[in-house]
Amino acid sequence: MSTDPQPPSTAAQAAGGAGPLDAFLHALRRRTEAAPRPTPLPDQSNTALRAVRPAEELVARFAAEAIAAGCVVHRVTEANWLATVKDIVASLSARLVLVQPQSGTALTAERAAALGNALGTAGCSAVSKWDDDTLFNCDAAVTGIVAAIAETGTLVCVSGPAVARGASLIPPVHIALLDRTQIVGDLFDYFDRLASTGLPANINLITGPSKTADIEGILITGVHGPGVVHVLLLE
Amino acid sequence: MSLARDLRARIAAATTDRRVVNAVHLAAWRKVDARAESFAKLPHVEALRDKAAQIRQHVIENLPRYLECFVARATALGAQVHFAPDGVAACRIIAQIAAARSLSLAVKGKSMTSEEIGLNAALEAAGVRVVETDLGEFIVQIDHDRPSHIITPIIHKDRRQVARAMARELGCPYTEDPAELTQIARRHLRDIFRRCDLGITGVNLGVAETGTLCLITNEGNGRMTITRPRVHVALLGIDKIVPRLTDLPVFLKLLARSSTGQPMGAYTTLINGPKRPDDPDGPGELHVVLLDNGRSDILTGPLREVLRCVRCGACLNACPAYRNIGGHAYSSVYPGPIGSLLSPLLYGHAYDDLARVSSLCGACRLACPVQIDIPELLVRLRALASARQPRAKRALLRLWQWAMQNPWAYRLGQRLMRWFLPDDGDGWTRHGPGLLRAWTDTRDLPCPAVRSFRSIWENELRDEH
Repeated sequence: MSTDPQPPSTAAQAAGGAGPLDAFLHALRRRTEAAPRPTPLPDQSNTALRAVRPAEELVARFAAEAIAAGCVVHRVTEANWLATVKDIVASLSARLVLVQPQSGTALTAERAAALGNALGTAGCSAVSKWDDDTLFNCDAAVTGIVAAIAETGTLVCVSGPAVARGASLIPPVHIALLDRTQIVGDLFDYFDRLASTGLPANINLITGPSKTADIEGILITGVHGPGVVHVLLLE
Repeated sequence: MSLARDLRARIAAATTDRRVVNAVHLAAWRKVDARAESFAKLPHVEALRDKAAQIRQHVIENLPRYLECFVARATALGAQVHFAPDGVAACRIIAQIAAARSLSLAVKGKSMTSEEIGLNAALEAAGVRVVETDLGEFIVQIDHDRPSHIITPIIHKDRRQVARAMARELGCPYTEDPAELTQIARRHLRDIFRRCDLGITGVNLGVAETGTLCLITNEGNGRMTITRPRVHVALLGIDKIVPRLTDLPVFLKLLARSSTGQPMGAYTTLINGPKRPDDPDGPGELHVVLLDNGRSDILTGPLREVLRCVRCGACLNACPAYRNIGGHAYSSVYPGPIGSLLSPLLYGHAYDDLARVSSLCGACRLACPVQIDIPELLVRLRALASARQPRAKRALLRLWQWAMQNPWAYRLGQRLMRWFLPDDGDGWTRHGPGLLRAWTDTRDLPCPAVRSFRSIWENELRDEH
């Protein structure tokens, strides 16, 4: 992220060509030339506006906020996380589970393989392919996440090679594996970390299960996305 | 000064249906409370609102360069950016995208901008089936209704109306249980999400620095719409830009809290171009349709501050007028206080009277996350509109203004009023003469005092002081 408070402003040339868009932009520039511009762009830093103090216990705050948002949070260790996933899967009577490892997340290829074996012994087939039939028919999906935000209990999922965006969206239950070191304090902290170049095509900030209150303001979960989100917090 | 006849009729019609009034009243108050509760927990609220307002004001004062920057960056990410001077052009561009690729089943995320330009009808006319996927919008669509709130489209419906529409249009068993109704809609739309080939969404904010599109939804239908089809068309008003990626969280902290009282919407998605070659799913093509449709005229006019709006809907819930008449009475895609500003600016003078559907109480200004001074702008709009009033009315207003500034004329007016307003015996007039008749048909008017304060002062009080 550039620390230059002025955004790049002379990139119009990159658009190229002289279509209706360029004609419009040109005309707009001419029409607004004389208009007053008294308002400066505020400083880029949001440090003074942060909602989470640097000293605050991030894990506890994240867990509390994720629960408030409707997630089920499990504090697990390397020794018992497999058993916890098995318990969740058993409680769902799940037969088909999508397991999607991703680099940069706690669900490494090794952990995914271990989980596949563990689920296999429990009579549930774990698959890592992301064709339509799997996405629409599986009972749950296990994914890693790239970051979590304590302030709002938010999980961050990003697209990437062999990582289906649909995995955290289409199956009825989403099980997310998170390492405690991935938790940042505030939305501002997360956006400060995002580089302004090299962003993945799709970044999802997920806060709780899919929900609606369209009918008489009554909260219903599991509309189009997962109705249940389990967060496994590795400590 | 009366409202235009049809607006008055619409308000009368809207307020006779007690069920609608109650539904809107309850739901809007619930959101006002939820908003207040969530803001109470947010540190630095006023500093955040200051910053959000300043960023948006800065953007609209410098829009050309930020738009150029956004277009360049979005293009570099692989998006195809189109420009639509008006709604007709936007509909044509999107229909052409569909036709050129033989796309026939479109899914839509909730987008007020698409409502503004009448996109669904235009695409259906071009042979593309369009399915709304937000639960509220889906129900609006199958019930051939109109949304009455920019965030909660069916705020005016109760569960029985929803149940009847779903049973009638989907052939499902009748149920009034909101959870079951939601599941029926989910199953119905899942099938469509598996087959669709075009996804159409609005955009909450675009980022100039990176070409990023930010989209916020709660149900996940927005994510489905930008994940399943092979082509994604995003409709973006030219005003909805922020300069830097780090400006986004300022708005993310305020937006969902203002709309629904949630700290964050369930899904906040940042879109950076179409899917990459290695990505297993996502749209292969991303089109951004930049829509002007009157916005550049607002930008160069005296009410440009209105373009700060991020369409959170907080001013609707906060407005006593909106809570009592509901969204349909405004007869515009954008109801409520912000709609009373946007509608005449976007749709023309036929909507000027909406500026009077307000008591100027200021609740909207307090609720606005970007601090638009809506009451002040409404007054400015009224002044602009009054210049277009009939000549006789303007002459009367000038007469009034003159009389108020001349003591002898004011005194004469008081005397005339005492002659013309008959006292029904209890200090009230129930049947005013002439032009006052219509007014007193529905209200009682207190009669002027027999003796004015001025005469009491001169004859009795002044000596005592």
